[in-house]
Order: sequence, then C-alpha cells, then structure tokens
Amino acid sequence: MERDGFLELRGVASRYGSTQVLSDIDLSIAKGEFVALLGSSGCGKTTLLRLLAGFISPSSGEVKVRHRDVTHLPPDKRGMALVFQSYALWPHMTVAQNIGYGLKLKGVARAEIASRVSAMQAMLGLEGLEARKPQALSGGQRQRVALGRALAIDPEILLLDEPLSNLDARIRLSVRHELRALQKRLGITAIHVTHDREEAMVMADRIVILNAGRIAQHGSPEEVYNRPASAFVAAFMGAENVLSLNGHPDGDAFMLQAGPANEATTVQLAGRHLLPGAVEARFRPEAAHLFAKEEFLPRRPGVAFRGEVLAVAYPGGHWRHVVRLGDREIMADAPQAFSPGMRVAVHVPAESLFLFNSPTS
Amino acid sequence: MSRRLLGLTLVFPALAVIAFLFILPLIMSAVGAFQVDGAFGWGNFQKMFDLYTKDIVFTVVIISISTVLIGIASIAIGGYLTLGEHPVAVAILRWLYRWPMFIPFIVVGQILRTFLSKNGMMNNVAINLGLLTPIDAVSFLDWRGIVIAFVWKQTPFVALLVAGAMASINRETIDAARNLGASRLRVLIEIVVPQVGTTLTVGLILSFVTMMSVLSVPLMINAQTPTMLTADIAFRVNSYGDYGVANALGLISLLLASSVAWIYLRASLKERS
Repeated sequence: MERDGFLELRGVASRYGSTQVLSDIDLSIAKGEFVALLGSSGCGKTTLLRLLAGFISPSSGEVKVRHRDVTHLPPDKRGMALVFQSYALWPHMTVAQNIGYGLKLKGVARAEIASRVSAMQAMLGLEGLEARKPQALSGGQRQRVALGRALAIDPEILLLDEPLSNLDARIRLSVRHELRALQKRLGITAIHVTHDREEAMVMADRIVILNAGRIAQHGSPEEVYNRPASAFVAAFMGAENVLSLNGHPDGDAFMLQAGPANEATTVQLAGRHLLPGAVEARFRPEAAHLFAKEEFLPRRPGVAFRGEVLAVAYPGGHWRHVVRLGDREIMADAPQAFSPGMRVAVHVPAESLFLFNSPTS
Repeated sequence: MSRRLLGLTLVFPALAVIAFLFILPLIMSAVGAFQVDGAFGWGNFQKMFDLYTKDIVFTVVIISISTVLIGIASIAIGGYLTLGEHPVAVAILRWLYRWPMFIPFIVVGQILRTFLSKNGMMNNVAINLGLLTPIDAVSFLDWRGIVIAFVWKQTPFVALLVAGAMASINRETIDAARNLGASRLRVLIEIVVPQVGTTLTVGLILSFVTMMSVLSVPLMINAQTPTMLTADIAFRVNSYGDYGVANALGLISLLLASSVAWIYLRASLKERS
C-alpha cells in the first residue's frame, strides 16, 4: 500500500485518558478515492475521522495532505469539510445561511455567496427551500443541506461521519448512490465512516476495517469480502459460521483431518499462510450448500460436513437452516426447505471457506 | 361531581393564599394609587411626576444598563465555560462564578460601599500601584456603584442559566462552524448565543424584575438624588405615611416590570408560530 498518497497517515495513535483509542494507523489515500472506514461501535473510526478533521490531535504520528504536514493545523486550514452524523445544522439559520456560512467566513462577497448557494441548491435538489429553517425540512433534505454546507467551501477532502444513519432505510439506499455519483462527478476525495457493511461495500473504492483502534485489513470491497485477512474481518464481513478443524500444510494445499462432522480432505492454500495445528474455519450461510444425501455432493473443491437440520425459516429469497455439525451449530441457506430432523450434507466450496490458525495454537 | 368538589377543596387553600395575600393587596394598592383624601383622582400621579420623574428615568436607565452588562458578562462566562480550551481555567471559573448568587443584596451593598468609596479599597490599590494620585481619587458611590452592585450580584444567576443552555446545545453545531473556519468569538456570537436566545432573555427579564425591587443597594450606595423608585417608595411610606404616592410609584414599577415581561411573551409567541 505504498502508493504516493494524497492524504497520508503515518503511525497515527490517539489516547483518551489512559485508553488507547487508535494505534499504528498507516494509511495512504489517493486523490479522488472514496474510502470507507468500517468497524463496529467503539473501534475508533469516528475518532480517526475527528483526528483527520483536526478536532483532536494524535498522541503520536502525522497526517499529511499533498506531502504537507497538517497534524497540528486547526480544522479549517486542512482543506477538509466534515458532514456530521447529526448533520449539526444551525437551527437559527435558513438553508441558504447554513450553506453559505463557510463562504461568509472566508469573506466572499455577498452576491458571490448567493450565486454559489443557489448553484449548490440546484445540484442537491434543494431549490425553493432557501428560506426554510432546518426544523421545517425532512431528514433527507437536512442531510443534503449538511452536504451542501460542506461542499460549498470547495474542500479537497470530504469527511463523512455516518451521514446516512439517521435516514429511513428506503431513502438510505438511494442516497448511497446519489452520494457516490456526486463524489465521482466532483472528483473529491471522500472518507466515509460507517458501521454498515453493505453501505461500505456499495459506496467505497476501498474499505478500511478497524478493530480495537487498529487497521484489521484494507482493500477493495471484493478483497475484504472474499479474502479476509483475519478471523475478525471474516466474521465482520458476514462469515459468522465457525468450526474448529485440525490440519497441516502440505505443499500448496492444506490437509484437513477428519473431525466429528467431516472426512479428511485437502483445500488449496491459494497464497494463504497457515501453520499446522488447530484452525478456525469460517463461511457465510449463503456460501454453504445443502444436500439430502452425500452421493449428491458436487465434484468441486470444498469441504463436506454431515449434519442434522434443527430449524428452518424463510427470511425471503431462500430458506435459512440451522444445522448441527458435530458439537457446533451453523446457518446454511438453500433454495428449498429441509425439514427439521433431516440428515443433510453441507458443502462449502474451497474459495468460500476461510481458514485461520486458532489464536490458541 | 364529588370528585370535582374534592379537587376544588384541595386547591382552595393555595388559591386563598394567593387571593388574600397577593391579588387583594395588589388591587388595594392599585386602587389606593387613585385615591386622594377619600375621593378618586389623578392627584397622586400628578405629585409623583412632579417629584419623581427624574427618579423614574434614573431607575429605567440604571436597570437597563445593568441588564445589558449582565447579558454581556453572562455570555462571556457561559461562552468560556462552553468553548474554553484550558481545562484548569474552565474549572476555576466554573467554581468561582456562582459565589455572588449566595450573598444577599444588603451584604453586596456593604461590601461595595467599602470597596468603591473615595478612600476605599479600589482607589487605595490604584494609588499604591501608582495608577492614580490621591487627588484624582473619586468615589464610585453613585449610579455607577448601583450598576456595579447589580451586575456583580445578578450576573451569576443569568450565567448559570445561560451556561446550562449552552452546555445542552448540540456540540456538533460548534464543531461544524469551527470546521468551516469560524473563530471562537464568531462561534460564540453567531452559533452559540442565537441558540440560547430564549434562555438568555428569560434570565435577563427575571434579573430586570429582581433589580426593580431591590431597596438595600440604592439605600447603601447612592444616598443622594436622583435615586431609584424603591428608595422613593420607602421614603414616602416611612417619612410621610403617604401611601397614595407610594402606591402610584409602585404601579409605575409594576408597569415597567410587566412591559418587559410582555416583550418576552411576544418574542416567545413569535418563536412558536
């Protein structure tokens, strides 16, 4: 990840009192890139964003924009604009005053402000609302005003702090695409904080997954989805089914020993590095295939498990089964229902089975 | 029916206290303002305006200046408590600023009398520091003394309300302004104060009404004319037993206080619509 960064973070760490919130953050972001900072609550993603914005200083490390050190510059000298989770619109100002405030602070002439504000309103579909106060706007309109206020000052970098989390589920889906399209059209560099995996996948060029204040993995959406670097990332990206297996590497393959629910078999390492011993196998419910008899198993690389259906439900589109494999229970999807009590074979294709050395080994 | 009766019975004592101890005396004194020697007339008001027009103006000016200064001071204190970046200074200010609230007006008068007089502590310190020659020392025990006393005593109360309101506004609205490049002073004036406007107005109106009714401070600090209406009322009653003019002066005070309350009501109605 040593590309020539437009925005660069080197060894950034932050403490809050005696709590280490962020540590060893190294990140390089190219101009025009859309990066999602993804993580569960408390992982430090908002702290990282506020640190970029200049509201908090890192306890060590540096932040650079175009090779210029901005680590200790005030928020407005960084060429970054932040869209807040609560939108933080000023309730006593109209839409036009909210959008134009940044320009007013820069001493732009009144006529110029008016024309920039109306251009911004036109771009965001806020025409005719200039005299409204924020209380008189819908959630989606408020969100666009907040975006307009940030974009009005023509920032090089747009920071987004969960800007979609206060929107209705249906509006959120369309705003994702609008926001992404707008970012591409303006060619602006965007850093988007979210805890919503799907939102990050749909919007971002690159996803940075944070765990306990450290970068767990970063890469394109397909990379982090299909090649998770750790058990945490795999679980966070939806591979919630977990089985304990034993095995050892053998050339390009990994030999899995027979367990309570599976025969001995091999899977290709495909560049992964695994040590002999206990491994944690993770896969997504939708990656598993269910078969009534073992004879029906497909002849493609993967691991087959024997199990018993415990429960079945229909969440829409497919049937979701709870299957007991040995002493573990997993979820598996199938296009047709298998009734509880049935013996089934579960097949997980090799490319969808994520193996990691267990922490104890 | 019996439930309604029970309700009325329960409210009655409180209602009676308000009616007999508050509303009735108020009406009596208002009626008394129009009574001269047993007959109704404007005589008391005529006398009042002849004798005390200057004092009415003096009172309005003094209290208005004090209210403005209290507003500025409490915004400054609340603003520093909200936006201050030096945690120790903020903690000290937070601890310190409330003290005058717990000191009675009469004690404030006493303290400032010894502090502000011609050879009081303020002038002594200035002279010892070489900032002032003894010949130039003047007493502040006049209208300035009253303003100082009022501001000193009432600022903590308004600051308490304002600081509380400032603490409860969305912090992100402050961060958003700083993100766009607003200095802390601009954040205070353009972002924070407009959001606590109602609280500030309520605090200032309550303060205004309190100051209208303070007797001890003008008596202690400003023993000369013109003086404030409260001192005049006390003087009419105590020295002349002239309840008629005293009632007329009281009615004027009430009008002044309620006009301020009316401004507030109008502003809050406008905000709601």
